[in-house]
Amino acid sequence: MDSNIIEQLLEKYWMAETSLEEEQQLRDFFQSKDVPESMKATAEMFRFFDSEKNKSLNENFESTVTKQLRQRQGGKVISMSFTNIARIAAGILVVVAAGYFIRQEVRKSYPQELQDTYSDPQMAFEETKKALMMISNSFGKARHEAGKMKVFNDAEKKIQNKDQEEKVTI
Amino acid sequence: MNLETFQNRVFPVKNKLFRFAFRLLGSSDEAKDVVQEVFIKVWNGRDQLDEIQNMEAWCMRITKNLSLDRLRQQSRRPTDSLEKGFHVQNETLSPYENTEISESMKRIGEMMAGLPEKQRQVMHLRDIEGYSYNEIGEILELDLSQVKVYLFRARNSVREKLLKINSYGL
Repeated sequence: MDSNIIEQLLEKYWMAETSLEEEQQLRDFFQSKDVPESMKATAEMFRFFDSEKNKSLNENFESTVTKQLRQRQGGKVISMSFTNIARIAAGILVVVAAGYFIRQEVRKSYPQELQDTYSDPQMAFEETKKALMMISNSFGKARHEAGKMKVFNDAEKKIQNKDQEEKVTI
Repeated sequence: MNLETFQNRVFPVKNKLFRFAFRLLGSSDEAKDVVQEVFIKVWNGRDQLDEIQNMEAWCMRITKNLSLDRLRQQSRRPTDSLEKGFHVQNETLSPYENTEISESMKRIGEMMAGLPEKQRQVMHLRDIEGYSYNEIGEILELDLSQVKVYLFRARNSVREKLLKINSYGL
């Protein structure tokens, strides 16, 4: 193509007045090898545009996204980036750690439950029997002492009856 | 909408979305994450897809919004500037991006990365993806005259830098 036409087109291009077709003409011209020395840098610019247009994602990308979309075909897909996963993990960690410390505190403030002290059941039975006998003895003694209280009670009743009889005779 | 229809209608734009997200974020990993997020978002709202006239422009708009959200999040953390990030990314290109980029083309990439955000977006959509002014307006939620002004400024800024390269052979 005539370099005069190219220069005119270029002028329009810099003024942002070219159509898409005219810009394609410029692109085609600068693809060729016989570009005047004065336009070498401009040619590089158009070549840069072409090479940028060839940048593409690899094939794995499509299959990765398809897999993600298929997994949740019914519902909504939530994009989980590493930072989101880390946030959730940190949240769970905080809850677990808080739970652990609260449990420790509760254990400190309440005494621990009784634990088995005997491994042999026969021995355990004997010891329980001994303990129950001791309690039974104490109950027996207490009953004997409580018997004395009955004497006082009877005496009090007798006095009350006597008073009532006297009142009637008067 | 079933998965097959979704794959046929939405998957073909994946590379455009990726390139746009990459232009805004300067990181291929982040751009990949954004495209994945876009697909999941579109899939979750698949019941309303029939109401959308231009599916591609709509996906591009979601890509822009999600990328800008990420940039905002990043700006709260101390990090490298986008231009600086662009250098790093070009040095660590993954195999599928590993096209031969000459030094001068790299420099043009840096020029573009150094443009103000809106100018960079408009230039990418026009000069790399070849969208019409109307489509760019729809994606970026701008009116036609704003699109032209941003494109004019972006191209002029690149032109000035190219002229310097031509004059001083930088």
